Amino acid sequence: MTNHWIDLKNADVILAMGSNPASNHPISMKWIMRAREKGGKLISVDPRFTQTSAKADLYAPLRSGTDIAFLGGMINYILEKNLYFKEYVVNYTNAAYLVSPDFKGPGELDGLFSGYNAEKRSYDKATWSFQKDENGIALKDPTLEDPNCVFQLLKKHYARYTLDKVTNITGTPKDKLVAVYELYGSTGKPDRVGTECYAMGWTQHTVGTQNIRAMTIIQMLLGNMGMAGGGVNAMRGESNVQGSTDQGLLFHILPGYNPVPNASLPDLATYIEKNTPTTKEPRSVNWWSNRPKYITSYLKAIYGAAATKENDFGYGWLPKLDVGQNGSWLMLFDKMHQGQFEGFFAWGQNPACSGANSNKTRAALAKLKWMVNVNLYDNETGSFWRGPGMNPKDVQTEVFMLPCCSSVEKEGSISNSGRVAQWRYKAVEPAGQSMPDAEIANELYFKVKELYKKEGGAFPDPILNLTWDYGEKDAAGKVKHINIHTVAKEINGYFLEDVYDTKVTPPKLIGKKGDLVTSFPSLQADGTTSSGNWLYCNSYILKDGKEVNMMARRGKDDKTGLGLYPEWAWAWPVNRRIIYNRASVDLQGNPWDPKRPLLKWNEAEKKWVGDIPDGPAPPMGTDGKFPFIMKPDGVASIFGPGLNEGPFPEHYEALECPLEENSMSKQRINPTIKLFAGKADAFFSCDMRYPYVATTYRASEHWQTGCMTRHCSWLLEMQPQNFVEISVELAKELGIQNGEKVVVVSGRGEVEAVAMVSERFKPFKLENSTVHQVGLTWHFGWQFPEDGSGFDSANLLTPNVGDANTMIPESKAFMVNVRKA
Amino acid sequence: MTEMVRKSSGDEILNHWVLAASCILLIISGYGFLFQTEAIGSLFGGFNTMKTVHNWVGVVFILSLLYSMRHYFTDALEYDEDDRQWFKVAGGYLSHKVKVPPMGKYNPGQKLYYLAILGAGIAIALSGFAIWLVQGNQTLILISHLVHNVAFCIFIIAVPVHIYLSTLANPGTFQIMVNGTLPLEVAKKRYPKWMKAAGKM
Amino acid sequence: MANDNTKNRKAILVTPEVCIGCRACQVACKSWNQLPGIKTKNNGTYQNPPDLASAAFNIIRYSEVPSAKDPVRWLFVSRRCMHCDDAGCMKICPAPGALYRTKEGAVAFDRDKCIGCKLCVNACPFDVPRYDADGKVTKCHLCFDRIGAGMQPACVKTCPTGALRFGDRAELISTAKKDGFGTIYGEEDLGGLGSIYAFKEEPKLYGMTDDPAIPSSVVFWHTVLKPFAVAGLGGVVAAAAIHYLAVGPHKEEEEV
Repeated sequence: MTNHWIDLKNADVILAMGSNPASNHPISMKWIMRAREKGGKLISVDPRFTQTSAKADLYAPLRSGTDIAFLGGMINYILEKNLYFKEYVVNYTNAAYLVSPDFKGPGELDGLFSGYNAEKRSYDKATWSFQKDENGIALKDPTLEDPNCVFQLLKKHYARYTLDKVTNITGTPKDKLVAVYELYGSTGKPDRVGTECYAMGWTQHTVGTQNIRAMTIIQMLLGNMGMAGGGVNAMRGESNVQGSTDQGLLFHILPGYNPVPNASLPDLATYIEKNTPTTKEPRSVNWWSNRPKYITSYLKAIYGAAATKENDFGYGWLPKLDVGQNGSWLMLFDKMHQGQFEGFFAWGQNPACSGANSNKTRAALAKLKWMVNVNLYDNETGSFWRGPGMNPKDVQTEVFMLPCCSSVEKEGSISNSGRVAQWRYKAVEPAGQSMPDAEIANELYFKVKELYKKEGGAFPDPILNLTWDYGEKDAAGKVKHINIHTVAKEINGYFLEDVYDTKVTPPKLIGKKGDLVTSFPSLQADGTTSSGNWLYCNSYILKDGKEVNMMARRGKDDKTGLGLYPEWAWAWPVNRRIIYNRASVDLQGNPWDPKRPLLKWNEAEKKWVGDIPDGPAPPMGTDGKFPFIMKPDGVASIFGPGLNEGPFPEHYEALECPLEENSMSKQRINPTIKLFAGKADAFFSCDMRYPYVATTYRASEHWQTGCMTRHCSWLLEMQPQNFVEISVELAKELGIQNGEKVVVVSGRGEVEAVAMVSERFKPFKLENSTVHQVGLTWHFGWQFPEDGSGFDSANLLTPNVGDANTMIPESKAFMVNVRKA
Repeated sequence: MTEMVRKSSGDEILNHWVLAASCILLIISGYGFLFQTEAIGSLFGGFNTMKTVHNWVGVVFILSLLYSMRHYFTDALEYDEDDRQWFKVAGGYLSHKVKVPPMGKYNPGQKLYYLAILGAGIAIALSGFAIWLVQGNQTLILISHLVHNVAFCIFIIAVPVHIYLSTLANPGTFQIMVNGTLPLEVAKKRYPKWMKAAGKM
Repeated sequence: MANDNTKNRKAILVTPEVCIGCRACQVACKSWNQLPGIKTKNNGTYQNPPDLASAAFNIIRYSEVPSAKDPVRWLFVSRRCMHCDDAGCMKICPAPGALYRTKEGAVAFDRDKCIGCKLCVNACPFDVPRYDADGKVTKCHLCFDRIGAGMQPACVKTCPTGALRFGDRAELISTAKKDGFGTIYGEEDLGGLGSIYAFKEEPKLYGMTDDPAIPSSVVFWHTVLKPFAVAGLGGVVAAAAIHYLAVGPHKEEEEV
């Protein structure tokens, strides 16, 4: 999130689109209700009338997979009706920037942007660039009138998203569109603010990233970024998934969102050169220019004394991706399906139920030589070999189960959607022989290290040289038990030498050797500091000579009244609760909205009051620093050339869709998505066999694949079986009664479910057709309850096709059929 | 030696006292439940035990009541003109000066009393069993609860009257339910029609 | 029929308008009371178990009613013991102390004192009491143990949106009215309920029992038959005494 959970109470309008907070993030509703008590309004836009819709002031239905059409219509409406916050747009975004005249958009190229290579299914982005002056600084037109300026291009692009066009694509009645646009657009005033909460409803599409991009454009136009009660807020689907991405558990990032190096970057200097953004904008802070400090400090953290200037601080020991290699989930399981993996750790996950196209995933697991299931419970993954359709005699995979314990059986931090890292304590001893994941990793590490030492191997250095100083060691040098505080402190970082600020005379001591680093501005690129994750530098510090675990704090003061609670736990970066908050003030440093004073410049004391400012520099004024310090040019990107399918979001249909054509353009689907072509990867559009749109979602009572929650009898009691929600109209057509067992079928598999016939789904009336939509949860699996009464996962139906940028599977819009069991 | 005549058989006497004892226990425990009287509960060793006693004594009660039909039922159904006249003089209980018509073995007061006890007894038993055993039928249980308590009201009127009339109000009656006999001369005066039919008069 | 503690009477205020149907209340109650899980089937709605049970002291009722502006209105209503001031269950109960009034005004139960007669199930206007495997009454007891320790009832504590609130009954009612909830269901019914519901519309729309009342047979029994059982017995004994003194026993010599 750019903001945080409690901040929702500050909003005038809350848009829940691509999400269902009442069902799936119930605690957020506490804050949303507070906002409503103060007159705030909740809008719910969803294919289905959900629990959130039941509490909303305004509900609008939309067909799964048409969010960009909906949002594009909103952008068009905001521009047409002049609802945007002009001063904000001109000064804080790249709206005034002039784009290359060679740039062409889908309006001119019938669905494509300039530079498309059909064979490679990718774009040459040369034309998606700004016109620059002789100094390399982008040209701008602050009047926003130049036909090549971003603002005019935006207008041109979204002028095609008329109300008629949008209603015909989304199936949303026109009056509902206008009502939503009007209400949300009302937050364009400086003293009104709107927030958006999204989750998988937006991300799990082939156009997922662009769904969110569309909203960021809206928030930029309305001046809602950086404001209390504003922002673009991802409601993460797991209590610590924010922590997992922060700490680099995805294939393409290292901790702190530094890119994983690829093979074309043979040394640290090249890595730094290629990955450190530069800018000619004198007023841009360009904070990522500090990357060298962060990558070097990271290497020093993991390799310690072994990492020296001479050996490039161990850069050569970091695993490298092949150039262009994509190691995301769908790719991994595709390779596994082809038999290219020997072994696999299913660590704290249940791929047999959670991955799109479960049949392909389960078949892939059977190709492994060995598999380790690290989980609280045995599940459909650990027991894949005896699942439906499997003959154990034919499966050669050796499966190991390493029981791990739950979050209440161990100590450590959890980072929530609002970037707040809260320390948690061990309440009970781990059950049976289960161990915390850290301990399991510890055991594995030392065993692997031992094997490398004994037997050598292709490249032992990366393993042997790890410092791994996480607890008391035995005589053989093995860490007996992980002291999680040592890990937290290593993540924060240390001064490895006495470090001085040499920019002043005489040089000032910043930190003493051996001390915890206080904050990442103190990190160095010369190997004199370590930090396992620069973002978390400031989370475990030295204060008045004592070590303070900032994440364990429980202070309840809230001076601004905005719910920042700066002394409750700790947020990254540097305890800033709302990022980009310098956009919440005008050029003089006064809050746009005096009622919500997130930040205010105190001229007398020459400092900011309120939240931690996003960059301590004085107000922007006429020559000060731009507010979006993480962007190379310092302003928010309305024109965003960094994504694969275009600098402006454009509506494309889902891979599997009910329409022959995309009424927006000739491009039916996202032209840059990766298509898998195996038999197991079949997909079907406009196929009579699969005539209904399907989506997947969650229920409050279960969580993820239900691997843990199905074992809790209190939860299973409330939601005992997988169900498919069907409209009254469709049920009548198919002769299906409420509560009857049915089978839902797609091109990839089928799953049984209880039919829940209700008015909550309604058929969508589109331009030339009526489209039915159904939905199921993915909380169930054949393995438990053991009698199979819960049925199986909805992912047996979903297609293994991913977003063009993130490869997250398109689980929210695909085609199915439904029949009586 | 006064000549005696047998009015109650040994079987009858046993049946009567089983019936009476169970009835008294049921009435006392019934009051205990009706008014949540701790003192009565403690007599039975607590309300849980009292319930067990009440339920099973109820079984004993209805079985012995139904058994009693072999002794009294047919007699209780026969009425003649003398019985009608008996009512007109209130059985002679309101004045010593009225003339009571000749009676058979049982006077109509006794006969109606028996029918009332039989009727109320079957009602109280059936409703009691319903309350004890039936689940999930609110209408049935509420009707049973009402019937049980209405029948109880009948019992707590009828039984004390019966006890008074068979002891204090009619000296010499009690022993008929102890040893089963009474002097022949007394029987001839009280139950002339029965004595005549039995060939004793 | 106001109880002695009217002044300090506590209540749970349910506000269905802000209930999101998350059912944390169902789980918190089971957790606190350590109730077992019930094997259920999906019956075509989210509602499960379908009704209150010995292992489910409260459930959320999901109901769909027509809407003027949306495809449907989806209502979430907490179903639980109403802790009536004039409680049918307490009225009909034959065992002293099995159902008793706590000092906050709630109706709690003592398993050991319950004799398992199940009459309370049938006297409740809301069909609340249930019987456990041992045949003893069981239902929401307003977390008397938590309240005794100065805590909130488990369901109230866990509710994220404030759809469940616990406190001084009079205060909850006046605050709800000030917040625009014109109808407080249970304000007067049955002497005033201990579980009150704040509505801006007709409670009937939310499936609330219209005009809840203790079954008339129970009322008749309580107001007529019970006094009669005392007066009747007393009257009969008195009548017998008077007869004995006034008329006296039957005298054989009077036979003609």
